[in-house]
Amino acid sequence: MIQMFHVYKAYPGDPPVLSDINLHVQKGEFVFLTGPSGAGKTTLMKLIFCGEKATKGQILVGGRNIARIRESAIPYLRRNIGVVFQDFKLLPHRTVEDNVAFALDVLGVPRAVARERVQRMLKLVGLQHKASSMPLKLSGGEQQRVVIARALVNDPTILLADEPTGNLDPALTLEIMDLLMDVNARGTTVMVATHDHSLITRYQKRTLRLENGFIVSDEDGVKAARRMAAG
Amino acid sequence: MSVFAKTAYFWRSAASGLRHAPFIHFVAVTTIAIAIFSAGLAQATGRMVEALIGSLGGEVQVTVYLSPELDEEGAAVLRERMVALSGGRANLVPPRAALERLATELGDLGEALAQLPENPLPPSLELEVPQERRTPGALKALAQQLRAMPGVTGVDYGEEAVERLSAISKALRYGGWVAFAVVLLATVVIVSATLQLAIYARRGEIEIQKLVGATDRFVKAPFLIEGFLQGLLGAGVALAGLLAFERLAGPGLASLFSFLVGPGGMVPLLEPRIALELLAAGCGLGLGGSFIAVGRFLRV
Repeated sequence: MIQMFHVYKAYPGDPPVLSDINLHVQKGEFVFLTGPSGAGKTTLMKLIFCGEKATKGQILVGGRNIARIRESAIPYLRRNIGVVFQDFKLLPHRTVEDNVAFALDVLGVPRAVARERVQRMLKLVGLQHKASSMPLKLSGGEQQRVVIARALVNDPTILLADEPTGNLDPALTLEIMDLLMDVNARGTTVMVATHDHSLITRYQKRTLRLENGFIVSDEDGVKAARRMAAG
Repeated sequence: MSVFAKTAYFWRSAASGLRHAPFIHFVAVTTIAIAIFSAGLAQATGRMVEALIGSLGGEVQVTVYLSPELDEEGAAVLRERMVALSGGRANLVPPRAALERLATELGDLGEALAQLPENPLPPSLELEVPQERRTPGALKALAQQLRAMPGVTGVDYGEEAVERLSAISKALRYGGWVAFAVVLLATVVIVSATLQLAIYARRGEIEIQKLVGATDRFVKAPFLIEGFLQGLLGAGVALAGLLAFERLAGPGLASLFSFLVGPGGMVPLLEPRIALELLAAGCGLGLGGSFIAVGRFLRV
């Protein structure tokens, strides 16, 4: 589903943010991306949804080489990728329902159809009773669930979550992670960037560790969990 | 995917943009309204000046001086040729009639003319040319043709006055265009700047749109509609202002300028065709300003 071959990313005058990244994520896989702050986790995710362009190397997403993608084709790629951020990126003056429907407006989905899909998605994330609430009246966990609903309402094949629990307390963190696991169980490929080791230990999923722009380890869930537990 | 749903979204989004940044849009609408109001006034003034020049042009008379040796029959032949050439009317003024007219014009001094041993005035033809030939160019060409006729010794049509009037008209017209271009440019810049502020205020929304797969055109369309609506509103306000101005100041201006244009000679400030043109100009201004704003600022 996601493949990277000798990918580099550097900004002029700075050392490379990512160096010689080689990666293969299968369809329907769940992958943790971990590493210290500044290791390149966010940049790697941005490369996948064309938020940044690789300086060198090839990136295949769903079999398509996005290293050479035309600017005008990027929106169509993004419609297959859901993105979740630590800072939610919700529209504060729109209701929960409108925030989720926002992703369908872009596709020109008629209002009635969109409303039905939004309701279904809000039910999936357990927020059907908050459809007409404003985002700022929700808890952090609820806001993040709205973001996940928005990311999933287009039925994307890939879900990228960059520190999705970074602003949440431990109980809400588990709530969100369980939701991401459910999404993955439905067949969506999920990549979660986190520096929270307890999540890796708890969920035991494939873990890629980035340090100074290099992938320094790529372990299956059990091995990664053991290593995290050992400290 | 539905084009109708997308179009509905664009209009909803544009209306919401107008509602959420009322001050920014108020500035743009007011600027467009002032520009269109000024353009409407300038347009009416221009038409008024044209009408004035047209009425003054009616005073233009071509006098053709004939050779004193020309007999009455020869003068009559020339008169026929000139009527055919100019398409107007010609009146033959014999030397004696010309002298009497001069004596009348000179009043008491006219008596001195009686002391002259012989009449120095030549016979002449007074030519009244039709309206369409009263332009400086056409008059000049006609005068050249008349001068070339045998038996004609001179042609006078107040060349200097006609050309001066024409120059004033031209200067007013070009001055009006330059002033309009300056106002137009300033308006486009202001409208574009206000829309850039509106775009900046909604950068969060734009970022999310891009993340969920919106194309550039999708992001830009509501802002272009906002510009169009600003133009429509601005032009509407300007037209209302022009109507009010005509109602309030029209009678006063008509009496003020009646000595120039005559009673009922004032041109109406707004005609349906001009109102439509001004409305279209307003929409064009709004659309142009927003087009520049999204082009420069919305590199998404």
